[in-house]
Amino acid sequence: MASSRESRFSLPPQILRLVLLTIAIVAVYLVARYFLTPPSFGQFGFYRGDVLQELASLEPVYAGKKACEECHSEQYQQVAQAEHKSVSCEACHGSGQAHAEDPDVKMAILGFSRCVRCHEENPSRPKWHKQINSRTHYTGEKCTECHLPHQPNEVP
Amino acid sequence: MKPPLTRRRVLGKLGAALAGLMTLPVARTVKAAVQKLRVAPGAAKGYDPTQHRWVMAIDVNRCIGCGLCAEACKKENRVPEGPNYFRTWIERYIITQPKPGSAVARGEVLVDSPNGGMNGFPEPPVKRESIQHSFFVPKLCNLCAHSPCAQVCPVGATFDAPDGAVLVDPKYCIGCGFCIQACPYGCRFFNPYTRTADKCSLCYHRITRGLRPACVEVCPTEARLFGDLKNPVADEALQKFYAENRVQALKPHLGTEPRVVYAGLDKEVS
Amino acid sequence: MTNELAQVVFEVMPQFEGFVYPNEASPHPLWGVLIVLYPYITGLVAGAFIMASLVRVFDVKPLEPVYRLSLLTALAFLLCATLPLLFHLGHPERCFAIMMTPHFSSPMAMFGFVYAWYLMAVLLLELWFDYRQDFVEWSKTETGWRGIVYRAFTLGVTDESDAAVKLDLKAGRFLSIIGIPSAFLLHGYVGFIFGSIKANPWWGNVLMPIIFILSAIVSGIALCVFNYMVLTWVRRRTVEMRCLDTMGMFLFYALVFDAAVEALDWIHRVYLAEEGFQVMQYMAREKLFYTLSIGQALIGTLLPLLILGALQLWRKRVPELIRRRLYFGSAVMILIGVLAMRWNVVIGGQLFSKSLRGVMGYKLEFAGVEGWFMGLVLLALPFVILVVLVKLFLSERLPTSGHVPHRSSVPAKAG
Repeated sequence: MASSRESRFSLPPQILRLVLLTIAIVAVYLVARYFLTPPSFGQFGFYRGDVLQELASLEPVYAGKKACEECHSEQYQQVAQAEHKSVSCEACHGSGQAHAEDPDVKMAILGFSRCVRCHEENPSRPKWHKQINSRTHYTGEKCTECHLPHQPNEVP
Repeated sequence: MKPPLTRRRVLGKLGAALAGLMTLPVARTVKAAVQKLRVAPGAAKGYDPTQHRWVMAIDVNRCIGCGLCAEACKKENRVPEGPNYFRTWIERYIITQPKPGSAVARGEVLVDSPNGGMNGFPEPPVKRESIQHSFFVPKLCNLCAHSPCAQVCPVGATFDAPDGAVLVDPKYCIGCGFCIQACPYGCRFFNPYTRTADKCSLCYHRITRGLRPACVEVCPTEARLFGDLKNPVADEALQKFYAENRVQALKPHLGTEPRVVYAGLDKEVS
Repeated sequence: MTNELAQVVFEVMPQFEGFVYPNEASPHPLWGVLIVLYPYITGLVAGAFIMASLVRVFDVKPLEPVYRLSLLTALAFLLCATLPLLFHLGHPERCFAIMMTPHFSSPMAMFGFVYAWYLMAVLLLELWFDYRQDFVEWSKTETGWRGIVYRAFTLGVTDESDAAVKLDLKAGRFLSIIGIPSAFLLHGYVGFIFGSIKANPWWGNVLMPIIFILSAIVSGIALCVFNYMVLTWVRRRTVEMRCLDTMGMFLFYALVFDAAVEALDWIHRVYLAEEGFQVMQYMAREKLFYTLSIGQALIGTLLPLLILGALQLWRKRVPELIRRRLYFGSAVMILIGVLAMRWNVVIGGQLFSKSLRGVMGYKLEFAGVEGWFMGLVLLALPFVILVVLVKLFLSERLPTSGHVPHRSSVPAKAG
């Protein structure tokens, strides 16, 4: 039917069909793109802007030193002045966000393994770091018999 | 051959144009509805990503290989269990004594990272006398200024955030794995549960709350220093680190310009 | 928990030698057999198209009998080219994102557009212009669903005047000329996906796109030889020896080019012996021995070079039957060799740690998305599509318009 139309500027029929088809495909693409691009895309850069908030909304598991200080300021002060001052509470006591939110949730009970995790002798450990061989160092029960974890230099 | 313009035709055209314009607000409403189904915006926060530039500095001489960082990272970020999913891990380098008469400065180089080092390290696999020297190297996302992973992501699901973190959008990632191939440091992995790329987020949920990343929080020796280059006053330790050490980055020849820098690296570290 | 993990470590670890980054220590490479097939299939598309262009653009008359078959081969494989990619995605349902928000710095992002361009703007259009007159004729004579199909493909244009047919030819030739750089783009681009990874010294190589294009042309011509011979055999016709000899000649010269550039790549690597050379050398020697030395070098390159080269020299002295068998054998060997080459690139690049201190193992499994059964299915699928296409568009029952470039798509009658 297109071929029957008389006009000086008409395209050959097959080309016309293809042009129409191309326009249809491009239009479908543009419409799809209009609807399917996330609204916040490009807000800060070439990504979904909302993702920053989504990632930030994950709940922490480790509460951080400052949260501990709020209730346990005495122990906090002790540690801050002693050899272990660079060690944060949760390094030994384990993650504490649950406990910080609800004090009824108990922290883990600490034992021997917590001390030797850092202080067991290992040739790869730097020399400045105090290390012991747990088999020969002391055959008694607990590290805390001789060492105060919060003030390691003092003898109980 | 154009038909003459009549009032009727003009009005008709105007009407058609008007009808066309009327569809725009409808389309917008439909678009908003469609897109609402696809995203759930998170809660607003008082954190401005453009006001920070986070970096990390690692002192290899201070790392004692306790593995608390790798353990805390898994816990904090709900990283899948298993020996090949790590956002941060520790490597142990053992450089042995050269064989007598071999006339080389260093012997064989042994590297291992059993379970990412998160359970600590066993006795070295060689005799103590044959060790020339040995050390631990904590690894994590290198926060590249020219991050190859963000460069190759086909859809913009991994990107450099304005505050310097290199993040993955788990709701938009198609899971093609190209970024994992492109990371020269092996810092990315394919998360089998989300079925997307996964990597260190610099504990984005912590740093936006004013907390330190979990690995930094639990590191007992301050081998990892975390700070903000846009607020240098607040991070004295970091400034001291830059001033007192000659720092290095991993694989500098690749031109990624990592913002994670190391002090005390050995030439064997790759 | 620790014990369990230690168990896992123990079970997984023996596959590794030396040190690999913990995240690399998975029992399977991230990109498995599906990603091996992806460059293989796109390469076959590009090669088959170049084969057709020899007729259309370069006017190589003896190849006219395979013109339409080559184009249909290209189409059948192109329709399957995205499938392996799609299946290997972690989230196939999000694949449209690559078209909605294409990240322009990513070599992968343009795939959708390059693919769409090649499929719709080049291949389908060229086929349509070539077939348009036939569609009009066939839609007049055929009834039933075939008639409906042909009528639909005319897109409602029934003009068969001389001017219209002339325009079809002109447009077809024009598209074919555009198609050559497009085919190079399609496959060179696939090579660039690997060549642009600077983190991986096995991949990050400026020659990668060129090697991919050249091996694609070789494999595409070999596939056309294979398809042509199988088709004539199925239809119990005789192969046109002039056509086959010409295909063999082009196959030989393409293979010479390909082998030369690949050899250059190897010499360059060995001579520079840059960082990571030792671990790659070890991997190539131990882990890739069968696919690299036997598959790619011997079966895929040396033997066909010898056979096809000998046929160039002493063609007249070799009886037709033997020649046919030699061509067929060479084509099959090249098809295997190029598949091995894709394997070596894709899997080889993931068999050594980016720490350059160790190598990983890889055991191909039967089941699963990345298993070899899935690979076989995906490799068979284009042939199934091709059978349908041939039945529809190369049917012996249907007379074809006599215009060049497909003098006789139907092989000549025996005897």
